[in-house]
Amino acid sequence: MHRPGSATIAIALVLGFVLALPAWAEQWQSPQMSWGVPDLQGTWTNATITGLVRFDEIEDLVLTPEAASQLEEGTADFFESIDEVPEGELAAGENVGGYNTFWMDPGRRLARVRGEIRSSLIVEPEDGKLPYSWRGYYRIAKRLWGLRSFDNPETRLLGERCILGFGSTGGPPMLPVLYNNHYQIVQSPGFVMILVEMNHDARIIRIEGERLPGVIRPWLGDSIGHWEGETLVVETTQFNPGQNFRASLRHFIYLSSDAMVTERFTRLSEREILYEFSVDDPTTYNQVWRAEIPMLAADGQIYEYACHEGNYSLTGMLSAERDEE
Amino acid sequence: MRSNDYSWTLLIACLLLLAAPAIAHHSFTAEFDSDAPVLLKGKVTKVEWINPHAWIHLDVVQEDKTVVSWMVEGGTPNTLLRAGINKNTVKIGTEIVVHGYQAKDKACKPACKANGRDISLPDGRKLFMGSSGTGAPRDGADPRERKRSK
Repeated sequence: MHRPGSATIAIALVLGFVLALPAWAEQWQSPQMSWGVPDLQGTWTNATITGLVRFDEIEDLVLTPEAASQLEEGTADFFESIDEVPEGELAAGENVGGYNTFWMDPGRRLARVRGEIRSSLIVEPEDGKLPYSWRGYYRIAKRLWGLRSFDNPETRLLGERCILGFGSTGGPPMLPVLYNNHYQIVQSPGFVMILVEMNHDARIIRIEGERLPGVIRPWLGDSIGHWEGETLVVETTQFNPGQNFRASLRHFIYLSSDAMVTERFTRLSEREILYEFSVDDPTTYNQVWRAEIPMLAADGQIYEYACHEGNYSLTGMLSAERDEE
Repeated sequence: MRSNDYSWTLLIACLLLLAAPAIAHHSFTAEFDSDAPVLLKGKVTKVEWINPHAWIHLDVVQEDKTVVSWMVEGGTPNTLLRAGINKNTVKIGTEIVVHGYQAKDKACKPACKANGRDISLPDGRKLFMGSSGTGAPRDGADPRERKRSK
């Protein structure tokens, strides 16, 4: 039997190494903390113009590059048009609007997940819609009806009162809103902390911890985490009833206090974390729904959002109502 | 996509975005009077660079030469900080033009309030030049950045 010489073996080894290089390079390895878990630390942003819910006119989750470009351009055009005001005074009886769009930062791009350009953050159900039950719709309608009241601060939304950010920005699930879509993750043995820029809320996730007694219902719920390989899995329940209704630009979601939100954080590269979550709330939805959001590394730091310091708006709304009475 | 025409999608997006400020930090509709549009021209006297929203103060000289103090509501300063803009960018004494609606509460204490539906310099340029149309930092990802550059 012919036996290969040492030179042949050496050449084969070198060739094998060179051929394996691309695959090796593609398999990016997450940095690790000193205690042996993936390092998710840093400042991240989930800003995107992809909404949680898909528009009726769009059937597919994945958009073609041409369709995506059209949507991104159209949105940019619209933002530009908001600031076009007529000469002279604005018309009476119109929507009062807000302020110049330079104050807004909802992102400019549609979400890209695993190379796909997404039309909605929801991936399940397939139609990209929130699968509300009739009971869920009733809960939303009841809360919206309650917003007609300006009798006292307690009737207003948590965002208006500077208690939590609006639209579930602090979550869970953590969703992008009109601005301040930044998050800072800090890890220590046994804990993961997520600082949410809007409204400077800090989520404390206890790794392999025990649940709080059921009577304790903290803002942002009670979060317990564990690691599944490279993925941080966080299960949250025991929500404060005050946090059930979460309204924003593109979504109205309702989570009952006993809903279970399961989040999965997987670092895909130096500059991206894939954030996946599912919502299990059988008293509000007909089925469990799931969504995927890229969290991209943010250049620069997270800023304080001391919402209480200058919240003239709440008194402005209440005094407006007193004035009309 | 059911259709190559995205007009309906864009229309819905536009309607939602129009309503955006009303469901952002607070209800502008509840705070400001749609029957009281204002066009203010005056010099900046103070900038409150605070959260949740910044307020820009200006003195408006009336036709009878009396001065009325106004304060105009903007958005969060955090977004502008990311674009390299801070409270010192708006110099005291800068003349500005504000399109907006007056607050329903017209007590004018400590100043008359309005929202800054559009804040610009007298020559028409937006108050915070250098920001793109969305006001966010430029990172090359915005397909409209070059067009919007001034």
